[in-house]
Amino acid sequence: MSAPTLAIDNLDLSFKGLLSRTQVLHGVTLTVEPGERVALVGESGSGKSVLARLVLGLLQDQRGVEVSGRIDFAGTELDQLSRTARRALRGRDMSMIFQDPTSSLNPMFTIGNQFHEVLQRRKPNLGSDQAHDTARSWLDRVAIPDTDRVLASYPFQLSGGMNQRVMIAMALANNPSLLLADEPGTALDVTVQAQTLELMRKLAEDVGTAVLFISHNLGVVREFADRVYVIHRGHIVESGQTADVFGNPGHPYTRALLAAIPRITGEGIPDLPEQIDLSHPPVHHNTGSADHG
Amino acid sequence: MKRIVAILLLNPLSLLGLVLVSAVVCGAVFADWIAPFPEHRGAVVDFSNFNQPPNWPYIMGTDLVGRDIFSRILYAYRISLLLGVVVLVIAVPIGVISGLAAGYLKGWPSFVIMRITDVFLSIPPLVLAMSMMGLLEPTLINGMLAVTAMWWPWYTRLVYNVTRAEKQEGYVLAAETLGASTPHILFREILPNCLPPILTKMTLDFGFVILIASSLSFLGLGVQPPTPDLGSMVADGAKYLPDSWWLTVFPGLAILVAVFGFNLIGDALRDILGAES
Amino acid sequence: MIALTRLIAKRLATASLVLIGVSMLIFAIARVIPGDPARIALGPNATNEQVAKLRTELRLDDSLPAQYAHFVSELLQGNLGVSLYTNRPVTTDIAQFLPATLELVFVAGALMVLIGLPLGMLSARFEGKWADNLIRIVSLLGVSAPSFVWAVILMLLFAFYLPLFPIAGRISEQYAIDPVTGFLLIDTLLAGKPWAWLDAAWHIALPAFALALSGIGQAARLTRANMVETYNTPYIEMARSYGFSEGRIARRYAFKPSLIPSLTIIGLDFAAMLGNAFLVEAVFAWPGLSRYGVAVILRKDLNAILGTVLVISATFLIVNILVDLLIAWLNPRIRHAEQQP
Repeated sequence: MSAPTLAIDNLDLSFKGLLSRTQVLHGVTLTVEPGERVALVGESGSGKSVLARLVLGLLQDQRGVEVSGRIDFAGTELDQLSRTARRALRGRDMSMIFQDPTSSLNPMFTIGNQFHEVLQRRKPNLGSDQAHDTARSWLDRVAIPDTDRVLASYPFQLSGGMNQRVMIAMALANNPSLLLADEPGTALDVTVQAQTLELMRKLAEDVGTAVLFISHNLGVVREFADRVYVIHRGHIVESGQTADVFGNPGHPYTRALLAAIPRITGEGIPDLPEQIDLSHPPVHHNTGSADHG
Repeated sequence: MKRIVAILLLNPLSLLGLVLVSAVVCGAVFADWIAPFPEHRGAVVDFSNFNQPPNWPYIMGTDLVGRDIFSRILYAYRISLLLGVVVLVIAVPIGVISGLAAGYLKGWPSFVIMRITDVFLSIPPLVLAMSMMGLLEPTLINGMLAVTAMWWPWYTRLVYNVTRAEKQEGYVLAAETLGASTPHILFREILPNCLPPILTKMTLDFGFVILIASSLSFLGLGVQPPTPDLGSMVADGAKYLPDSWWLTVFPGLAILVAVFGFNLIGDALRDILGAES
Repeated sequence: MIALTRLIAKRLATASLVLIGVSMLIFAIARVIPGDPARIALGPNATNEQVAKLRTELRLDDSLPAQYAHFVSELLQGNLGVSLYTNRPVTTDIAQFLPATLELVFVAGALMVLIGLPLGMLSARFEGKWADNLIRIVSLLGVSAPSFVWAVILMLLFAFYLPLFPIAGRISEQYAIDPVTGFLLIDTLLAGKPWAWLDAAWHIALPAFALALSGIGQAARLTRANMVETYNTPYIEMARSYGFSEGRIARRYAFKPSLIPSLTIIGLDFAAMLGNAFLVEAVFAWPGLSRYGVAVILRKDLNAILGTVLVISATFLIVNILVDLLIAWLNPRIRHAEQQP
C-alpha cells in the first residue's frame, strides 16, 4: 500500500500575541489517501482554514506562529524539507482553491497571463502559444464558453462563477496529487456553487487528485466527500465514512451541526444547542484506513 | 485613549518621537530658564566671543556677532511652534468645514469648493507662500497667513474624501431617514469619522509647517532679524562653509530633530488609528 | 481607447480651468496688497512721473476685471509683460532661467522614482525585518528636513570634506555649449561632446540628490504602505500557494497593484520639488529660476511674479496630467473601463 497523500499527525498550532497565546489547533490527526475526497467540517473559527495553510507552508514563517506535530506529504515529512524544496511542491504537487475567486486572481494581469505562469510552475520553458493552447483545453474542461475571450480578460471583467471555474482549472492544470479547497464558492450563489463543486469533483476524479475539502456546509459535504472529519475549536471531534458520520453521529457537536442544516421543506433553522458537552471523547468510526479509532 | 498612549510608549520609535517633541517643546517653553544666554535672542553683539566653534559655555558655538547658537535655537523653536499652532488652528477648521460641505452637498457648491482647492493645490506650496510673503510684508503675521493659505486645501480634500465615503453608510442614511438636520448629520454623524485621519495629519503637519516656515525664512522671505529663526540662521551661515560649519549644521539639525519627532509620532498614530493620508 | 481619449480631454479641460484660477488668485493677491503697487515696485526714490507712467503701463487705474481681461488677452498672445527687475520681457527671462530649473527637477524626479520605489518595495518585502526598519528610519529622516538642510549637509560632506563633487554651477567653464533645448544633459549630447555631458552630470548630481531626498523618502514610505496593504490581499496568498518565489511575488504581483495609488502622490511630490528647487538652487548657486524668482518677489515685480508662478503651475499641471495618463495606462480597470460587465 502506498503512503497516504497527506498524513497529519498530532498537529498543534498557536499564535503568540504580545501578552497572550492562543492555541488554534489541538493535536489534529488526519489522513487523505491518494485520489480520496476528504472533508474537514467546522464552524468559522474552528481552525480549519489555517490547517490548509499549514499544509502548504504559508503560515510557518509568520511572526508569533508556533507549530508542533508532523505533516507528511506522499511519504515525505514536510518539515524536513528546505524552504525551497517545500516551495517547489506548491503549485506542482499541491495546490489550493480559495474562497473568493474574484479577489484571489490578480487584478493587474489577464487570465491567460496568470494561467501561463501557473503552467510554467511545471514546465518552466513553456512558450506562450503552447500555454495558450493548454489553458484553452483546461477551460473547456471546466465548461467555460468563449475561451479566447476569457483568457484575454481581467478577473474583474468576469463573473464570480466564471472566475471560480478558472481557479479550479488552474489548480488542477499541473496534475497535483493534492488539492486543498478552502470553502470554494462560498462567495457565490447557491446554484452556481453546486455546479462548480460538481465540476471540481469530476475533474479531480479524472486527474486522480486527492481533495481536502474544507467547509462549514454539511449539505455540500455529504454530496462531495468520501470521508469526513468534524473539527470544533481546533479539536477533531468525529471522523469516519460520510455515510457513518451522517447516519450515526456519535459526538454531540456533530449531532448539533446536523440538526442545524436548514431544511428546504421549511421548518426554519433549528437552534444550535447552547451547551455542547465538550468533554465527550472524540468519535472515530471504523474506516479501515490508517486512522486510529 | 489609554490604549493609544500605551502603544505610543511601548514602540521604541514613537517613544523616541515623544522624547524629541517633548524636548523641543520644553526647550521652547522654558527657553528663558534653559538657554545659557537668554539675552542672545535679540540684537546683542559680543565681539569678544564671535564665531567660536562649539566649546564651553557655547555648546553649539557662537555666530558672527558672538551670540550663543544654542540659545538662539531654543528661541527659534518658540517662533516655529507658535507658527505651527496658529496655522493649524486656522487652517484645520476652514478645511474641515469646506470639506464637509463639499462632500455632503451636491451640485455647484461642491464643484466650486473643490475647484478652488484644486487651484491652491496646483501651485507648489512653497511658491504660493513665497509669492504671498513677497507681495505682503515679511512679518510673522503674514508668514502665518501665507502658510495657512497653502495649508487648508489639504484638509478640505481629506475631509471631502471621508465625507463622500461615509455619506453612503447606513448610519448616515438612517439619520437622514429619521429627519436629522444637515448640521447634525455633518457634525455629529460624519465628523467623528474624520477625526482619526485629521489628528494623524495634524501631527505630521506640525512638523511640515515648521519645515515650510524655515524654508521661507531661508530664502529671506520669513521672520526678519533680529528674531531668531532656524531657516535664516542656516542661510546666514551657509556663506561661511566649510570653516564655520556650526553656523549651519546645528540650526539645520534643529529643524531635522523637531520635524523628525513629529513625524515619528504621526506615523505611530497612523498605524494605531488606521487612518490614511 | 475611447475611455483614454475622454480622460485626456477631461483632464486638459480641468487643467485649463485650474490655470485660469491660478492666474486670478495671483492676480488678486498682487492687486490687493496695501499701497500703490507701482510706488512699491519703484521704491521711494522714484519720481511721481515715473510712478504715474508705470501705473498707466500696468493699467492700474482700470477696474480689476478690466485689468485681468487685459492680462489674459496679452497672455494669449504669449506676452507676460516686462519685468521691472531686468527690463526685459518676462517670457525672455523665464525662457532663460526655466530650463536649468526643470533639468534639476526632472533629474531629481527620476532619482525619486528610481531610488524611492525600489526602497519601498524592499521595505515591504522584508516587513518587520531589519532592512525594513532601516529603510523606514532613513526615509522618515529624508522627509524630515527641508531640501536646503540636505543641500548644505551634502555639500559639506561631499564637496568640502570629501571633494568628490563641485560646489556650484552647472558645467565647467572650459566647455562651451550652444543652448538648443537649454537642458545641458541634452545639449551636450546634441553637440556630440560626451565629456561635457559627464561634466554636466557631475555638476547636477549633488543638487539633484539633495532635492530628491525628501521625495525619495516620501516615495519609499508610500510604496511600502501600499505594498504592505497589497500583501494582505487574497491574490498574494494565492500567488504564494502556487509557489512563486518571494522575490517574484514582490516585483510582479505585489508591486504593480501598489504602484498605482503611489503614482498620484508622486505627481504631487513633483509640485513640492518645483518649489524646493528654489532652496537647492540657492545653496548650489544653480543658475535657475530661484535667484530670479526671489529677486522679483523681493522687488514686488508684479509681471515677473505672475509669470513665474503661472509657468511653474503649468509645468506642474502638465506633469500631473502625464501621471494620470500613466496611471490609466497601467490600470486595466481604467484601460478597459468600457468592457466591464
